[in-house]
Amino acid sequence: FNLQAQDLPYNSNKKYPIGKIKVQGNTSFAELTIINFSGLRKGQEINIPGEEIGSAIKKLWGTKLFNNIEIYLAKIQNDSAYLEIRLADLPQLNDLKVNGVKKSKIEGVIKDNKLKKGTKVTENLITTTKNFLTRKYKKDGFLNTKVHINTIDIKDSIKTSRVNMVLNIDKGTKVKISDITFTGNNAVSDKKLRKAMKSTKKINRLRVLKRSKFIDSAYQADLSSVIDKFKENGYRDARIISDSLIYNDDKTISLQINVNEGDPYTFGDIKFIGNTVYTDRELSNILRIRKGDTYNGVLLQKRIADNSKPDGNDLTNLYQNNGYLFSSIRQVEVSADDNVIDMEIRITEGKPAYFNNVSVVGNDKTNDHVVYRTLRTRPGGLYSKALVVRTVRELGQLGFFDAQEISPDFKNPNPVEGTIDMEYSVKETGSSQIELQGGYGGGGFIGTLGLSFNNFSIKDIFKKEAYKPIPMGDGQRLALRLQASRFYQTYSFQFSEPWLGGKKPVQFSTSISHTKQFLYDYINRRADKSRSFNITGITFGLAKRLTVPDDFFTLSNAISYQRYDLNNYNTGLFTFGDGFSNNLSYTVGLSRDNTSVDPIFPTGGSKFSATAELSFPYSAVNGVDYTALKEERNENQSILGSVSSTDLERTNAQNRISEIDQERYNWLEFYKVNFKGEWYTEITKNLVLRPLIEFGFLGAYNNDRGVIPFERFFVGGDGLGTYSLDGREAIQLRGYPNQSLSTQDGGTIYNKYSLELRYPITLKASAKIYGAAFVEAGNSYNSFKDFNPFNVKRSAGLGVRIFMPAFGLLGIDFGHGFDNALGETGKHGWETHFIIGQQF
Amino acid sequence: CSEYQKVLKASGEGATAQKFKMGDSLYNAGKWAKANRILGQIVPEYRGKPQAQKLMYLYAQTFYKMKDYYISSYRFEQFATSYPKSEKLEEASFLSAKSYYMLSPVYSKDQKETKEAIEKIQGFINQFPESEYLPEANKLVQELDFKLEKKAFSIAKQYSDIAPGFTRDYTAAIKSFDNFLYDFPGSSLREDALFQRLDAAYKQAVNSIEYKRSRAEGIVHIRKERIEATKEYSSSFLKTFANSKYIEQVNEMNRVLEEELKKYSTKS
Repeated sequence: FNLQAQDLPYNSNKKYPIGKIKVQGNTSFAELTIINFSGLRKGQEINIPGEEIGSAIKKLWGTKLFNNIEIYLAKIQNDSAYLEIRLADLPQLNDLKVNGVKKSKIEGVIKDNKLKKGTKVTENLITTTKNFLTRKYKKDGFLNTKVHINTIDIKDSIKTSRVNMVLNIDKGTKVKISDITFTGNNAVSDKKLRKAMKSTKKINRLRVLKRSKFIDSAYQADLSSVIDKFKENGYRDARIISDSLIYNDDKTISLQINVNEGDPYTFGDIKFIGNTVYTDRELSNILRIRKGDTYNGVLLQKRIADNSKPDGNDLTNLYQNNGYLFSSIRQVEVSADDNVIDMEIRITEGKPAYFNNVSVVGNDKTNDHVVYRTLRTRPGGLYSKALVVRTVRELGQLGFFDAQEISPDFKNPNPVEGTIDMEYSVKETGSSQIELQGGYGGGGFIGTLGLSFNNFSIKDIFKKEAYKPIPMGDGQRLALRLQASRFYQTYSFQFSEPWLGGKKPVQFSTSISHTKQFLYDYINRRADKSRSFNITGITFGLAKRLTVPDDFFTLSNAISYQRYDLNNYNTGLFTFGDGFSNNLSYTVGLSRDNTSVDPIFPTGGSKFSATAELSFPYSAVNGVDYTALKEERNENQSILGSVSSTDLERTNAQNRISEIDQERYNWLEFYKVNFKGEWYTEITKNLVLRPLIEFGFLGAYNNDRGVIPFERFFVGGDGLGTYSLDGREAIQLRGYPNQSLSTQDGGTIYNKYSLELRYPITLKASAKIYGAAFVEAGNSYNSFKDFNPFNVKRSAGLGVRIFMPAFGLLGIDFGHGFDNALGETGKHGWETHFIIGQQF
Repeated sequence: CSEYQKVLKASGEGATAQKFKMGDSLYNAGKWAKANRILGQIVPEYRGKPQAQKLMYLYAQTFYKMKDYYISSYRFEQFATSYPKSEKLEEASFLSAKSYYMLSPVYSKDQKETKEAIEKIQGFINQFPESEYLPEANKLVQELDFKLEKKAFSIAKQYSDIAPGFTRDYTAAIKSFDNFLYDFPGSSLREDALFQRLDAAYKQAVNSIEYKRSRAEGIVHIRKERIEATKEYSSSFLKTFANSKYIEQVNEMNRVLEEELKKYSTKS
């Protein structure tokens, strides 16, 4: 900046109003614009010399549009200062050429460095681009990367100054680490030290997960892991004296690390100071470090406060989980004579903290009583970190709040009084789902209307003002579903209340459904309305959360009744075309669920359930001789099968079989046992493994009466219950077509194993998406005789799940069946499954 | 094409004035949604002009009448700050505060809007202590206050209502009613709160075990302590509400407590 300092000595500081400002130089901007940028204006009083001119120049620089900015005092006339701004536009980037990288990567280089056409080219831009690229390739192991940038001015008639830029990137060859050697280490072997270096590895063809490239930042972190390794072994003075990187001839490098181990130390006396609540003995039982043990600073820190495990068994958690929120623990080395370190663990216990106010904010839809009954931290209760963690988990599991956004906030901590306020901040998520579908399938148009409200309030259904848009907030579930096509109609209604009576977590649920199906003529595409099959069912259930053995257990009971009515409906499924069947059964189940945190994407815990469904053992009391019936049926069966039978004989035999079957199935007699277990483990951050095992068995009390043709298992496919005619259970086994692994009537026994690896893509409330890879195996069998848990059909595949609050779960799976489905000879191969609405 | 549609689509010379006129008459006719739509069109054009005052008032009113209280509260507030000399200032300020009141949800949900509304109405009362709307404003504040009271009361009550073994927690109930009595000293639910606190304390005390070992305090004679504390609750209740509807229950509790206390005094 050039303010004719020679002419105006600095101390001649005088104020002048600005007379006129002129702009000169090679610029495409209007004069007024530039004056505006400078912040100077006509008539403004400025000091000459003074800081106004300086700040004007700074402002012009700040626009990043100009180069060579200078402000001159042109003249002083009538006591006004006439200024002149001289500057030149920065050259704009016209064309960019990138050499030395693949074509597909050029786009990335341009984006990362913001090298779009029209960008102002400054020195800074050139330097940062150069540095960025050099660093980027070094990170990928190209240690010898060189970047050159040339700019070429364009001389043509266009006024704006422009340049072409050439980026020459010479990545060189990828450098791998051939060897890492240590000197000066006696106590810890090279091998162990190399193992401690988590990201810097030497070449090893057998290792697949980590590459042997050299990244400086990771290397620095690894050096401190090396020191930690020594510290774990008692060498607490260990340090790295020098480390060198040697370029070998064969495009590899060697690392040489020179350490000084120092002397080994052992623990001396460990004294606890300040503890009144717990005895020294109790504390040292948790510390588990004795006098004479090799000194290990890392372990000591872990036993005092393990930052990697929030629920670890350490001293801090001992205090934090028992009310001592205000406690603090410090370890101090009091002496280190003869390489024996005496420690003092100084504990400030503070007052035990009790919760004062416990509140919830953000429940715009859910009523207080639903939320507060879930809280485990209550006013007047002793503070416990574990209870806070559990409350957050259980609020998430309600399904009404976004599990990722529940935050427990401590308010007003008062160490003097020993009180703390707690505020759980929640965010409601959409918990209603609407399903409106029209589709072509099964030989005709199928329309579906499904409504599912997961946070319904039945007591508000007559209150007009509660309709916003539906009465919500009592945690009840209401679902309605209508489905109709040309040949069948289904109506169902479900309701459940998780806390019946509001005093206990006893879930009451009920459902009513009715299905009407007409015989469909696939050739004429007409439904025969005179021939129909109706199913009407009603279920009542109570599920009670238990307190013993622990409160993750639920005991459930249900009674259900179904009536099947056949009206001249002869298909392969039933031997009697006119008749009925009743199914009255009692189901008892015991389940345990401690999965956490997000019900859509659990990352920990497990889920087990065992259920038994039983009917009354009618055959034991009704006096019917089922043995005789069975024999008679077999006789008739052989008439049917015999070539010598006449048509009349066949018809009679057929009719008699129908009568017998009607007798056998007038009241369904069966028992069914199901077991299911699944575990969730987070292997590394966010990567979750889910093993699952399932088993089911359907049996008869009276073998002469036989196993019923209802309630059977159908293994294979997506596992979605399509309209279920006969209480069948569809078991998911991907990689095979739906229900293809069971015989036409269904299996009476099945087992399934599955291993699924899940990784979340996003877990935002608006849409949760995760990808999964799975291997599965399972099969169904017609009797215990055939049952062989290892004779299974295997498959593997990949899939994606998307959960959106308004639509529920959507997904697609690509499974590959390695074995043959029933009726196939070779392996089945690929199969695509669409998953709609099935939770979990 | 109706007249309304014609005016709505009109543009050019005179259209703005025409729209204003029609918006005004639609407003007077009670056609809020239509008036709102047409007035909304011309709001930017009148910015800074003298007629804007009336326009903004009408526009805010249409939102209020359409029960779009989020926007009406904002629009009235804007009006009040833009035209502090308007004769409608008081009305607009009140309607702004009342819009907040309208947004307040049922007591059993998050009360963020309720607290905001109380603040706004209180602000109005402070600004216009002589206002004709004062009685209504006071009534609204009372109603909102009562919501907060009822919320705190219900939460506290639930702690003692739930079945044993689940979230029943008399300590939580006592503590919550303590907080309630402290936070709402003039509450109309005071009598009930005092009784509920006594009831919870009584049930906890008579069902207590004699001694409890605690880490912090060693062995505590917990039953005696609780009975004594409950006795104090009952005495203070009887002192304040001698003619309470709960009097019979309280007297009965008092009798049992005194008997229990006698046992301890003879023992020691």
